[in-house]
Amino acid sequence: MLDIVNCQIVAKTWHITLPDIHVGKGQLQVITGPSGIGKSTLLHWLLGNMPEHVLINGQIFLSGSNITNVAIEQRRVGLLMQDVYLFPHLNVQDNICFALPKNRQLSSKKQRRLEALNMLEQINLGHLASRYPQNLSGGERSRVGLIRALANQPQVMLLDEPFAALDPSTREQMGGWAFQQLAKQDIPSVMVSHDVEDIPVSAKRLCLADYYRAIE
Amino acid sequence: MIFRLSKALTNSFAICYVFFFVATAKVHAELKSETIVEANSAQWQQTLKASAGQSVYFYAWGGSKAVNEYLRWATREIAQQYQIKLIHVKVTDPSEPVSRLKAENGRTSAIDLMWVNGENFAYLKQQGFLLGNLWSAIPNAAFLAVDSLPITVDFGEPMDGFEVPWGIGQFNLIAENGVFQPPQVSAKSLLDIAKKKPRTVTYPRPPEFHGTTFLKQLLVNLTDADPRLYKSSTKQAQDELLPVLWQYLDQLHPYLWQQGKAFPSSAAEQLLLYQQKTLSMAVSFNPNQWQKEKSTQQISESSVRRYFADGAITNSHNLAIPKSAPSPDASKVVINFMLSEKAQQEKFSGVWGDPSVITSLLDEKATMPAHSELHSSWHVLIEDAWQQRYGG
Amino acid sequence: MPTARIRRIALASGWLLVCLISLLPILGIVVGLWPPEQVRFADLAPFLAYQGLSVSVSMTLFSAIFSTLISLYIAFMVYSQYHLSRRLQSFEKYLAPLLSLPHLAIALGIVFLFSDGSLFFVDSGLPRKGLSTLIIAIVIKEVPFFLLIFSAIGRQLPIKYWLLQGNALGYQDYRCWWFLVFPALLKQSRLALLAATAYTLSVVDISLLVGPNIPELFAVSVYRWQTSFAVGDQAQAFWGNVLLLVLLAVSVLILYAHEKLAQAGCKTLATQGSRFHIGIINPAFKAWLPMLAVLTAMIVMVFTLWSFGVNWHGDRFSLAQLTTRLWQDEWLFFALPLQNSLFIGLLAGLLGVALALLALELQRQKGTYWPDYYWLLAIILPQLSMVLGWQVMHIWTQGGYHSGWIILSHLPFTFAYAYLVLKGPFQSVEPRYELLAASFGYSSWQSWWQVRFRLLLPAIFTAFAIAFSVSIAQYIPTLMLGAGRVTTITTEAVAIGSGSQQDLIALYVLLQSVLPFMAFFLAALLARRFRGSMDGNNMGGHDVRHC
Repeated sequence: MLDIVNCQIVAKTWHITLPDIHVGKGQLQVITGPSGIGKSTLLHWLLGNMPEHVLINGQIFLSGSNITNVAIEQRRVGLLMQDVYLFPHLNVQDNICFALPKNRQLSSKKQRRLEALNMLEQINLGHLASRYPQNLSGGERSRVGLIRALANQPQVMLLDEPFAALDPSTREQMGGWAFQQLAKQDIPSVMVSHDVEDIPVSAKRLCLADYYRAIE
Repeated sequence: MIFRLSKALTNSFAICYVFFFVATAKVHAELKSETIVEANSAQWQQTLKASAGQSVYFYAWGGSKAVNEYLRWATREIAQQYQIKLIHVKVTDPSEPVSRLKAENGRTSAIDLMWVNGENFAYLKQQGFLLGNLWSAIPNAAFLAVDSLPITVDFGEPMDGFEVPWGIGQFNLIAENGVFQPPQVSAKSLLDIAKKKPRTVTYPRPPEFHGTTFLKQLLVNLTDADPRLYKSSTKQAQDELLPVLWQYLDQLHPYLWQQGKAFPSSAAEQLLLYQQKTLSMAVSFNPNQWQKEKSTQQISESSVRRYFADGAITNSHNLAIPKSAPSPDASKVVINFMLSEKAQQEKFSGVWGDPSVITSLLDEKATMPAHSELHSSWHVLIEDAWQQRYGG
Repeated sequence: MPTARIRRIALASGWLLVCLISLLPILGIVVGLWPPEQVRFADLAPFLAYQGLSVSVSMTLFSAIFSTLISLYIAFMVYSQYHLSRRLQSFEKYLAPLLSLPHLAIALGIVFLFSDGSLFFVDSGLPRKGLSTLIIAIVIKEVPFFLLIFSAIGRQLPIKYWLLQGNALGYQDYRCWWFLVFPALLKQSRLALLAATAYTLSVVDISLLVGPNIPELFAVSVYRWQTSFAVGDQAQAFWGNVLLLVLLAVSVLILYAHEKLAQAGCKTLATQGSRFHIGIINPAFKAWLPMLAVLTAMIVMVFTLWSFGVNWHGDRFSLAQLTTRLWQDEWLFFALPLQNSLFIGLLAGLLGVALALLALELQRQKGTYWPDYYWLLAIILPQLSMVLGWQVMHIWTQGGYHSGWIILSHLPFTFAYAYLVLKGPFQSVEPRYELLAASFGYSSWQSWWQVRFRLLLPAIFTAFAIAFSVSIAQYIPTLMLGAGRVTTITTEAVAIGSGSQQDLIALYVLLQSVLPFMAFFLAALLARRFRGSMDGNNMGGHDVRHC
């Protein structure tokens, strides 16, 4: 589970002091707010990608250990963005392969590809294995993106308006399916969203605007 | 009557030889007193032994297939006879070895032997980059035809043993027989031909060497070989003689190729244009080039050689060794070979056709009536003035 | 932590290496142009009084800027055609032959084919020696070069997306192209423009062959002075080089001004919603590449026939004259130079590309990019003086004459061209890809190789092909540092080219083209095979399917 403690976003003319956040296994924390306030910046800070124009203070605890100053590569935090950023030079199967963790069971290329194919087939997308990202539809891309992120076995999942680019009906389908997958794997997730309708009922909400304070 | 007689004399070989003799008498006298090493002396045998197994990097122009072939032949012969490896470094511009020597400034050079003449030689000699006493150190220098050919002075600068003549250059035109019928050319006949066949006559743009020499030939012809041209130029001589040339050129240029608004950049380019039948004449310093080019079908069958009525301006092209050459002994052996009868014979009768400089092979029939070079101050003057009047 | 320390050392040595290579041009010029003792300010007056100087200088400046800009616009129009008409991806293969013929060959070819006395008995009015002929010869070679640059840049830009957007707003394709795509391409082609202008400003061999000579182009005059040792000429050469540097600076300013004007112009037209008919002539450019291809094929054929002994102007012209004798005779003599060229080209090319990537990555990590012209100094500064300086430094070291020094002397050039080609694509690589890789647990080193390098592969192949060909074509560095010990196919070809033997010249010209041709062809094939960020991010054509 994820704990964010003493978090404060400080800019030149304003600051946001957040309450302590706790996200348990399988739970979803949604962060909302007007655009430009810093939702994505906060998310990237959680990932380990330090922001340039604002200062964010605070501590991040993942399953008890403090990962505030740990490099991105070592955090095991997953990120799914609005533009899925599937690697264009790899086909779908290889994209997922790329994300698979390096351990002894998955050491040979053949094993990895097999595992990737398995994951695709579990969600009935096996037929997309040798396609390239440019030839997928929006919905297919989002699903593959989520599967790729999950393939990495992250401890926390960050979602940055992941369904905003999809059309309404696909968005609904995707949303439901995505949260189902996340809950199934007991992964705590933090999502940033504009659209109130995206958010499942069981999620906790936090609106950044509530904690916004201008500096005189 | 006397006028006709003297004119006839002017055209004969005798007067020419007298000219040369007078011009080179001083140097000639000095040379007779120098002792040249004998081929079978201990000193030369020592040189031969020391040079076996060495390499000689010979910087020479690489644009002529004929010269390249000749040098390949020479390489084989030298390797066989002396166990010396001759390497032909093909340069594009004769000033390349000069720049290199200047940059090296006395340190061990990359150049062992170089092909040089004219102002490049004058510069190198002045700067002290050349090895001296070559004539006395090389046995075959004894056979150089100093009595008959103007080969002790290079373009106004006495050789003084800093370079050795290799071959002879005589300025001539390679032309279409139908267009250039009389065997000799004068300024007037050239103008007539240019008017009859406009846009087929031209010359390389000065300061290219062939171009300047062409202008010199015209000047000689127009001023009837005024004696002041062979002495250092004076202001008065300039003001009297040069305008004759300019008046002539002002008349000639409108009938030239490209109406005198563009010129070939080099003699080689002009020859290419001649081959492509764009021009009716080309220029050359090799008296036998026309024959060799014809025999390899490079130029048309009806090409002939023409020269100026006063005689072809003659000079020599030479070999020199840098003072800081890594293998000077081997280079001397190579020069010795180049002056040998076998090498000179092959040079003349083989693909190249360059006339010989040694007495035993002197062939009057192969060379044209010769005319001595003008004083070097006129050369620079003509170039600068041409640039002023026509070059901009 | 040890890894952080290793990282710091690696970074520092990277910077050291890159700085050394990029400083070589400056060192060369300073040593090479160090005023000889005889030069005084008093020499400036006669220099400036040189007949025809002002005309020569203005002609040179005009030809450089004009030919570069014309090539840019033509290349842009051609590129647009191929992009807009869906036959795009494969045109790079066809660029290979166009790019591998040396400049001189193209000049020789077009005057033979189209000038007076030409084969086709068509006097097209192309003067045998004139400014227009020179510009045409240069444009023919520059357009494919710019096309190659554009395709390397365009791969990283979401061009299809922009066109789509523009279409949606009611603009026809060609207008979208001008208002939306052109400014972006122009900005990233800055370096290529600079390189092309610097080349034309200082080119000597083509100017001698087809350029005007009354008065001569300025670079030719400087070359003449520099290679003459008559009294006073070296002083003229010094001042000539100074003026050449001034001209280079002026051209940089002009190109900069042009870029600003063009950007502003496009912006104004775009914001005004102008509907003017700029692109009406576009379809004419569809034919440009095929026309160039035909021209190149004709030139290659002419040279091949010449090398086989066919002489149209000979007395007895018949195809029975065809003989391979020349090839057989010369085989012994060009085999070794060809080998040397290959070896030197491969190493200089690889090192150049590697160093360019290193320089780009180091700057990216630092956050600021140094000015472009600093990296391109090797191709901007006058080559003869710069290499003379290297020659002097090399002589000081007394290090012998072997291929290692030649490779080192080619390196600043291959580095500069590789940097030129790679900068645009490198900066356009989406940084989020590497971010994602990091989130998957890849270290920065691993993600650089597996993501950034991999995405840049097509551009890297192109950069290598260009760097390789640049190395093959180098004459002055090889000559001055090799001192005849190391011969390449180009040193042989240039020496032969100064003569008048048509068939031999043709043979060596063809040989000069063989290696670059193979490099470009191979690069085009490989670039196809290894996809980069080909259609931009997530822009999957016009087909949208629902799942």
